[in-house]
Amino acid sequence: MADNPQSAATDEQLVQAAQKGDMVAFEELVARHRDKIYARAYSMMRNEEEALDLSQEAWVKAWQRLEQFQGDSSFPTWITRIVINLCLDQLRRQKRRRTESIDEMDEESGGVERQLPVVIVNPTEGLERAELRKRIDEALGKLSEAHRTVIVLCEFQNLEYKEIAKAMNCSIGTVMSRLFYARRRMASLLADLKKAE
Amino acid sequence: MKHEVELRLQAWVDGQLPVHEADEVARLIETDAEARALLTELKHTRAALAGHEDSITLPESREFYWSKIARAIEREQPKAQAVETSWLQHFRRLFIPAGALAALLLIGMLAGRQTASSNVPYELSDLVADSDTFTFTDEANGTTLIWFSYPVENELAQPDDSDIL
Repeated sequence: MADNPQSAATDEQLVQAAQKGDMVAFEELVARHRDKIYARAYSMMRNEEEALDLSQEAWVKAWQRLEQFQGDSSFPTWITRIVINLCLDQLRRQKRRRTESIDEMDEESGGVERQLPVVIVNPTEGLERAELRKRIDEALGKLSEAHRTVIVLCEFQNLEYKEIAKAMNCSIGTVMSRLFYARRRMASLLADLKKAE
Repeated sequence: MKHEVELRLQAWVDGQLPVHEADEVARLIETDAEARALLTELKHTRAALAGHEDSITLPESREFYWSKIARAIEREQPKAQAVETSWLQHFRRLFIPAGALAALLLIGMLAGRQTASSNVPYELSDLVADSDTFTFTDEANGTTLIWFSYPVENELAQPDDSDIL
């Protein structure tokens, strides 16, 4: 896309143009940040199709609300928040359809995680990038939705505990507990994958 | 180790522990081997997750991905316009008759003032030329009657249909 004059523009310039209705500018913003938005949706949903749909829905919503974007945060941060909210809504809808399981009750009090031995050896040391991604993917896939969500919001979105609590509609104490047990479970899962080599 | 202490250790790793509590945790790490082991595990997990999302890429081409977004935007836009149009139509439907009524009342009041200032006991006059609207003012009784005809929009309306205010 070297011949595209939009590719030299900054995000701010593209946003300003898009706010005036310039779809070409908006397409350039999509091209720049689509991987990040899709990755965030995939991290939360663990389903390629759902992640694609929700990430595209986020872009449509962004276009419709573009006038509300004041530039208080960066554009990628703004659009990432939109996709996170869409994923959280979707997860809540899915949760309403399910009955509460024992696993979900253990998310805050720590079920098996309380009994897990501490992993001192770095389970991902010396791994190739692709192998590391595969292992983390597998481990993230084995976490409960609440544990995975709290990991994504803290580790990938870098939100503070209070911001996570607001997004997940729970207390800061619950966030801290969930995050602690989620990390303990991740460490254990990564160690198990290393042993299984 | 108490769960509360574990959570404080985690908050310290995340940089979200208040300063006055951070010193306490730092001392604990120096003296407690269990706390040090947990700290190591937490740091390894954080390091493993760092940058993980950077390796996830969209499984569709730019053009295909964008085409679906563009279609959805186009689908949504006519809906939004339709909502706006129907709102405007609704507004016009209410505003135009109300505006006409208010204008006639105003004209009536102005005409009333004019005739009150003269010595003629009553007056029958056209308010606006060619408007099919005229008034009858009886100063003695202090009443003003205004006749106006609807425009011939409604075919069912009779030529002599009129309203009296």
